[in-house]
Amino acid sequence: MPEQEKNFNVRDKIDMSRIKRRERTDKIFKTIFLIAGILSALMIILIFIFVGGKGIKPFLPGYEFGQQNLGKFLTGMTWRSDQNPPVYGAAFIVVNTLISAFLASVVSFPISVLTALFIVKIAPKKLRGFFTTVVELLAAIPSVVYGVFAAGKITKMVNSMAQHFGLTTHGGLSQLTVSILLAIMIFPTITSMAINAIAAVDKNLELGSLALGASKTQTNFKVVLSAAKSGIFAGLILGLGRAFGEATAVSMVAGNSMTGPTWNLFDITRTLTSTMLSGLKETSGLDYDIRFSVGIVLMIIVLITNFSIQLIKRSIGGVSHE
Amino acid sequence: MEQTKQEIKSQGRVPLAADGVMFDIRDLNLYYGDFHALKDISMEILSQKVTAFIGPSGCGKSTLLRCLNRMNDLVENCRIEGNIKLGKKDIYDDKAIDVVHLRTEVGMVFQNPNPFPMSIYDNVVYGLRCQGIKDKALLDHVVETSLKQAALWDEVKDDLAKNGTKLSGGQQQRLCIARAIALQPSVILMDEPTSALDPIATGKIEELMESLKENYTIIIVTHSMNQAARISDNTAFFYLGELIEYNETGKVFSNPDNPRTEAYITGRFG
Repeated sequence: MPEQEKNFNVRDKIDMSRIKRRERTDKIFKTIFLIAGILSALMIILIFIFVGGKGIKPFLPGYEFGQQNLGKFLTGMTWRSDQNPPVYGAAFIVVNTLISAFLASVVSFPISVLTALFIVKIAPKKLRGFFTTVVELLAAIPSVVYGVFAAGKITKMVNSMAQHFGLTTHGGLSQLTVSILLAIMIFPTITSMAINAIAAVDKNLELGSLALGASKTQTNFKVVLSAAKSGIFAGLILGLGRAFGEATAVSMVAGNSMTGPTWNLFDITRTLTSTMLSGLKETSGLDYDIRFSVGIVLMIIVLITNFSIQLIKRSIGGVSHE
Repeated sequence: MEQTKQEIKSQGRVPLAADGVMFDIRDLNLYYGDFHALKDISMEILSQKVTAFIGPSGCGKSTLLRCLNRMNDLVENCRIEGNIKLGKKDIYDDKAIDVVHLRTEVGMVFQNPNPFPMSIYDNVVYGLRCQGIKDKALLDHVVETSLKQAALWDEVKDDLAKNGTKLSGGQQQRLCIARAIALQPSVILMDEPTSALDPIATGKIEELMESLKENYTIIIVTHSMNQAARISDNTAFFYLGELIEYNETGKVFSNPDNPRTEAYITGRFG
């Protein structure tokens, strides 16, 4: 009878050497995770060093293509690489970039948040999955496709809008076109973050609000949105990041003006990204290196924006009496 | 304190149907889809008393509680037959009553404290603001009296701007009670209000209920036999969706009519 000979004592099966082996495995995996972490952090640091180093070079003495004046670069309102000597002034580009990103988020942010609220809280369950899929698909469309759409469609729209006001455009290439394009592009980013944030709100808060005689709408606006605030603003930061950083599609409709800032929405514009991208392959020397300087400016702007949004987030919603 | 009670008594309270009856529940049946969760429940819940609902998990006591402020409306596939009268009005007759108005009259405190992520002040006046009440002097007054009634005022009066979610669990639950009584309701429903709290916080909430019943009708769902025995005037025992026994608490605990009630309260099943 083999059953009788079998040892059913669990304690006998617990083997010290096996435990030791597993503890060693833990250590090995811990090291692997650490290396992975260091590698990705290193990647970011390397990019900063590379872009930073290359971008600063034109302003250092002894620069091989002639030292540039940092003050003129940061305050200049003209960008003429075709002149001799070329003029590189980035201030108006910064302003243009801020205008288009700001306009895009002013349009897109409320629409995105309301859409997310609709999808999570109001739409019938069957529609919910459909809408979520649509938003995710929108987020997955490559930017060049948005660019083609903007170049082919939005430009025409903007052009006819301009004619309506008795204005002319450069074939629809304009600040407004860039802003509309960016608004469309950041919509799925903000919306999908807002969907996640709103869906994560504790159901008990909602019930608590309804039980106090709040209507559905009051509950959604006063409790759900304020509880989802953090995630929604994270979405805004990602959206703005995309608005600042989008290069391909923006370059297709910006028109790359040489002076500015562009206050007229129907006039052509130039953003930091379109400046970095356009003609990158056909150029060298100073005109090539200066694009890295623009890159530094872009990174600084993104950092400042993120920081400001964090401040805004802290000051609205939540504690608000008085 | 004295002034507060007077005010509340002078409020337009629910006119009671029969003498001292707040809720009159008749032949209530409730289904979640095919599941028959409440079976032929008929009972009268008395005004200005603490009524405890007891019974094993899944017996329907919380479901019944949620019928009283129509929170079950939010559950899909939930179907209700029979009627429940609050005072003289059938609360399931949409011509006689408005759900939102009902919920201002029948407040609720949940199992897990659920303060809103906003200041203590804003939490307390939330229900009032939802009704469009903006008068600052009134709101200030209600904040003070409600927090005092909820025995939280002394702990938070210097920091009403503090986020309600930053309070301790027991304080959060008292804030939720303050939030409910800010609307000066007739009834407060409590769904296992102390099951997430430690014994000290539980003691405070129980003391609070004792003082609140002077002004409010309290219905509490609880899993603690001791709690039911300590704080309630009447106790209803539910089992598998049926009301098995409903009587004065002393009677239910010392000399229950039904052997199943006795078995449950002595811990032999459930």
